[in-house]
Amino acid sequence: MAEEQKAKDVNRRTFLQVVASIPALGALAAFAAPLLRYLKPNLDPGLGVPQGRFPPDLIEGDLPRGEPLPIARVEELSEPWSSKFFVFTQKYPQYTPEQARAFTVPGVAIKLPWKVRFPGYREGKEPTDIVVFSRICPHLGCIFNYVPDWREITAGYGGYMPPPERRHGLLGCPCHLSIYDPADRDLPGRVLSGPAPRPPRYFVYEVRNEVIVVTAVEPGGIA
Amino acid sequence: MWERLREWFSERKQKLDLFDETNVERYDNPLYLLGQIVYFSWIVVIASGVLLMIWYEPTTHGAYNSILRIQHEIPLGWLIRGMHKYGADMLIIAITLRIYRMYFLGEYKRPNELSWMILFGSLVLAMISGLTGYLLIWNQRAFWAAKVVLTVAVYLDQLPLIGQTRFGSAIAFAFLGGPAEGQGTLTRFYAIHFGISVLLLILVELYFLFTRRKRFNLSPTALVILLVMLVVTSWIFPAEMGRRADPNRTPLPILSDWYFLALYQYVKYTPPLWAGLGPGLLIAYGMLVPFLDRSKGRRPSERPFFTVVGIMALTYFLVFTALILFNIAVIGRDPHIVLVLTALTLTLGFVLEVRYRRKVRAAEAAMPRPAPRAAVAARPAPSSGA
Ligand code: FES
Repeated sequence: MAEEQKAKDVNRRTFLQVVASIPALGALAAFAAPLLRYLKPNLDPGLGVPQGRFPPDLIEGDLPRGEPLPIARVEELSEPWSSKFFVFTQKYPQYTPEQARAFTVPGVAIKLPWKVRFPGYREGKEPTDIVVFSRICPHLGCIFNYVPDWREITAGYGGYMPPPERRHGLLGCPCHLSIYDPADRDLPGRVLSGPAPRPPRYFVYEVRNEVIVVTAVEPGGIA
Repeated sequence: MWERLREWFSERKQKLDLFDETNVERYDNPLYLLGQIVYFSWIVVIASGVLLMIWYEPTTHGAYNSILRIQHEIPLGWLIRGMHKYGADMLIIAITLRIYRMYFLGEYKRPNELSWMILFGSLVLAMISGLTGYLLIWNQRAFWAAKVVLTVAVYLDQLPLIGQTRFGSAIAFAFLGGPAEGQGTLTRFYAIHFGISVLLLILVELYFLFTRRKRFNLSPTALVILLVMLVVTSWIFPAEMGRRADPNRTPLPILSDWYFLALYQYVKYTPPLWAGLGPGLLIAYGMLVPFLDRSKGRRPSERPFFTVVGIMALTYFLVFTALILFNIAVIGRDPHIVLVLTALTLTLGFVLEVRYRRKVRAAEAAMPRPAPRAAVAARPAPSSGA
């Protein structure tokens, strides 16, 4: 008899425990949930990203817009393999007190000795011999360099020896030694060596009265 | 099921040995002082860290200058900074060596699985704390190291199923505190850097409280030697400043703190997704090794496969570190060499393991019936001292 009673008691106790723990756990969860908000950044790229979506997309949601920027006169880039560096400013509306914050994208314009179909120039419909790349490495976001002398690539960028037809100015990233060919005839910026998954991003530009004006940068990349 | 798990847990809990404090009788062997050195250097790091916080200014504009001021203007500032940096280095060295000791001597085996997992986890946390710590200087090395590490996470989104949840970007975003590295990142790293230490400190104090272990078994001589080592190192090699962070210029070559260098070389060799998965697999292996290694003995020769894997890991760490320091990497060629070498070594380990097991079985079969059990039971005790 006593044993039976005991068993019943235990059952009742477990039952009460379960009943009591449900609201307790609920309260705990309710308290903990808003704390997750702490992980969400207080800055938001805003446009192009559906509001409240977590997290905004680093690859696609980057906004390419900014003030059109004259970067060089055409005659400055008349010699083959001459180049010009510039910094383009993107504008993001954000939840900061100023409502806006600018990110900069360093870029480089290179004059080639032959013409290629470059997507940044009239959307690739017209061949051009001036290519304009963002210098943010598509591998892990370092700023890469334009190296006019390919021998420097062999010495300082991990011993890559370009084949004879590519012994000219190349793009080289110091971080993990990705090397790109800005003058590849089919795919300007082709990855020649290194872990980079794709060619560098390009700038969209127009030629206005003999001045090269950059208007936007291919979406994506890590600023 | 639950019962068994609880039992497992409570047994391991009683046998916890986080700072070698149960190996008192072996303190004539410096290898068994490592745990104590970990605890000691940790206290040094926390004490000096609190002092640094007084003058440090966690803003992108002020950080570098405030550290310059600590280094050159504040009396003994250089010493405090040196103690903080070299104390942390000492901690990481000691904890790494200790983990290698436990690995090669099979000390992670029953009943030490939980100790091993906690230690291994704390090495990972210590490295994260180091990474978040050196961003605070806001110099070139720090800036690019942080950027590179956080960008690796973004590539995890290429994974088939998990990728859909944007898990990788979520990690990057949570750490960056915005779409790019900036003030938000600095603030968050400051919080994480400080938070990890304080949280672990609380847990360890609770552990000492409940186990009533003696927390410090270092002799005064050892203590003084360690302190003098730290002071002299900070005197001769003042903690470096590097150049102020410049988001528009990448230094050549880009280096991080020494314990990440091998990983950087690995990142050079692999496509970005694998750069993220590789270290994850390594951590998983470390955490699970007590359960993977079902061999009986503790001596390295009694479990050839795991010994070979350990030696390989150590070799890669040293070789990759040397390669990145001299900026050597032929990306078209090296990964193949590494892959082939790894495959060969693993096969070798496997063959050795099979041969060893055959030998043991043959020896057991040759012996009279009841003997082998006694022999197996008797072996681990004396050998663990080797
Ligand atoms: S960031 Fe350029 S190669 Fe890795």
